[in-house]
Amino acid sequence: MYVYTDFDKQFVRQRAAQFRDQLERNLAGTLSDDEFRPLRLQNGWYIQRHAPMARIAVPYGELSTTQLRMLAKIAREFDRGYAHFTTRQNCQFNWIPLVKAAEVMERLASVDMHGIQTSGNCIRNITSDCFAGIAPDEIVDPRPYCEMLRQWSTLHPEFAFLPRKFKIAVSGAREDRAAIAWHDIGLQLLRNEAGEVGFKVLAGGGMGRTPITGQVMSEFVPWQQILVFIEAIVRVYNRYGRRDNLFKARIKILVKAEGAKFVEDVQQEFGAILERDADGAAHLLTPAEFDRVAACFRAPAGVQPRPAGRHGVPSDAPPALRRWLERNVHGHRIPGYRAVTLSLKRPGQAPGDVTDEQMERAADLADRYSSGELRVSHDQNLVLPWVRESDLLAVWEAAREASFATPNIGLLTDMIACPGGDFCALANARSIPIAAAITERFDDLDELYDIGDIDLHISGCINSCGHHHSGHIGILGVDKDGSEWYQVTLGGLDGSALSGHASQPGKVIGPSFAAEEVADVVEAVIDTYRRERAAEERFIDTVQRVGLEPFKAAANAQRRTTAAHAA
Amino acid sequence: MRFIDPVHDRWRTVSGEDGPLVTLTPAAHRLLTLQQWNGVKSQWPADLPAGVLFPNDADVEDLAEDLPRLALVALQFPKWVDGRAYTQAHLLRSRFRFAGEVRATGEVLVDMLPLLKRTGFDTAALRADQSLEAAERALRFFPGHYQGDAIEHRPLFARPAGEACTYADEFLQAGSAI
Repeated sequence: MYVYTDFDKQFVRQRAAQFRDQLERNLAGTLSDDEFRPLRLQNGWYIQRHAPMARIAVPYGELSTTQLRMLAKIAREFDRGYAHFTTRQNCQFNWIPLVKAAEVMERLASVDMHGIQTSGNCIRNITSDCFAGIAPDEIVDPRPYCEMLRQWSTLHPEFAFLPRKFKIAVSGAREDRAAIAWHDIGLQLLRNEAGEVGFKVLAGGGMGRTPITGQVMSEFVPWQQILVFIEAIVRVYNRYGRRDNLFKARIKILVKAEGAKFVEDVQQEFGAILERDADGAAHLLTPAEFDRVAACFRAPAGVQPRPAGRHGVPSDAPPALRRWLERNVHGHRIPGYRAVTLSLKRPGQAPGDVTDEQMERAADLADRYSSGELRVSHDQNLVLPWVRESDLLAVWEAAREASFATPNIGLLTDMIACPGGDFCALANARSIPIAAAITERFDDLDELYDIGDIDLHISGCINSCGHHHSGHIGILGVDKDGSEWYQVTLGGLDGSALSGHASQPGKVIGPSFAAEEVADVVEAVIDTYRRERAAEERFIDTVQRVGLEPFKAAANAQRRTTAAHAA
Repeated sequence: MRFIDPVHDRWRTVSGEDGPLVTLTPAAHRLLTLQQWNGVKSQWPADLPAGVLFPNDADVEDLAEDLPRLALVALQFPKWVDGRAYTQAHLLRSRFRFAGEVRATGEVLVDMLPLLKRTGFDTAALRADQSLEAAERALRFFPGHYQGDAIEHRPLFARPAGEACTYADEFLQAGSAI
């Protein structure tokens, strides 16, 4: 993991001090609520239904056990004993009173954590592949680049008040597990024919009301130039992005409207920075800086190749263990090692939610079996990245005790869901009861395994925090006449191998459904798949082969409340 | 960063903007709208520095040739969360090497000051209700930053270790004092 320097540590403390000053002026009445709002947002503090929501940055998803224990402590002492992990690899609290905000930020700063730019119209937390640095299909480890981007974007003076939020995702592997095409900027690390490292750069992806996938800005930007190239993109956006309409303010609208002209503008600005600006080349990354940062991302001490294939699991192991090995245990670049997903998708708890006690247990597991390191995944689970094969049996037993061992990773119940209307002031509808109803409906593991690999994504509103656009099945909460309705889409793709390395928004299968119809609709869609599928065919492939019609018919047959409305 | 006291500010806008532009009499410390400046610049005395109030949706490159004749470019924040003028200031300083005054006008709040200073503004006309004490404090939180900016072009990684912050001692002690 990146090791904070004295500068980094002091910087985060100063940010906490600055925030305390702003909070105190707000509480004293000299800084109005309206004017405090953008300032607190840029520190991760929203005002929500019940209390402020605090969004804490977990840069590119890497978390130490010290940090996780601090999150647990904050959950216990300031919140109601739990936290929520998000698709952007961040951690959210829902019940901390604003008057305690400064104290929480200071506690976080003590373990090198913060909420800097986790909200607001600025460059947000950089996200990446939860298997970065350990994936067998990795081309280049993205973490050093993520960290250099994190530093460059942190309190960038020119880009703190962009037209709208700005999200960057980085992938360094053959499979895109970071949904890069769905981001304002998506970066794919690769090597050119000469073996040099660089980035394929996409821009203009985003969800929301107008789902669009990113356009290629450059097929290859040498790594040394990446900060300058991104500066060019963000500067063009800051100058020309729309500010007259909130719903048209994301960069995707500008890229779509300008087309090739946008790419030309970026290339021209990139050239102008390097050729015309005073010290324009100052932000070219240097080998010395790369080496300094990359040194932090070497494998932890003691991790070295070990005899592979000795997981010590007896051949008569219970099905639960065999399933866990199949679903929750992943390949590793170092022989004799595996990555293990701790599933945060289980009955009785919302997707991505953890209690303080569970966070302590996860930290204990990581200390004992994963060199004190964890990852937060885009799919809202925790990952132990450095597990010896010979420890798998012990990890399974310990994970099971802590309710982390549901063997459902990549299956229907491993769904993505935002906190929805239960917590979020933006939401039109609740997500958690929908997720719970589906989890309850599909509680039979044999059935889940028979259904196989599938992405189910739920958002409580069109802001799309639950990435419904990219779900093979997407569910979107909408509000009509003050009640909750749910639009269902099929065929969304997030860029992963399961999605055929493609990204596209799903298609709506008809008018919205009532809340109590949603689980039936999902079941009808799944039944249609099981009826229509060819041998070994996955859900998304069947949808693409047979088209939406049979699914629509099956879904519409579930209408009860909405049938009455339509009549 | 110098704060503009509107009562004692030497720069004066020229009212009657709707009147014929030729009636503008050249004088010292005239702060002209971009439209006024474009109307009179061909007759404006070469040795009389002018000021221009520049809209935040115009391209500063269009002003590049005039910059040697300007002593002041006043950039605008119609709303404080509209960040276009930060880019304009950055370009004025780093691309067009403007050495005159770059002033923040419009809805200018104390919490913008660190950004203003780092993108190249050297004066700010704070909104009337803003506290000077809070303004001074806002400028002291971060004596060091990761990126280069209009004042220190080099990012942290390109500076020698001892030069990480401009005011290292103050920086290290600042946290405890606040």
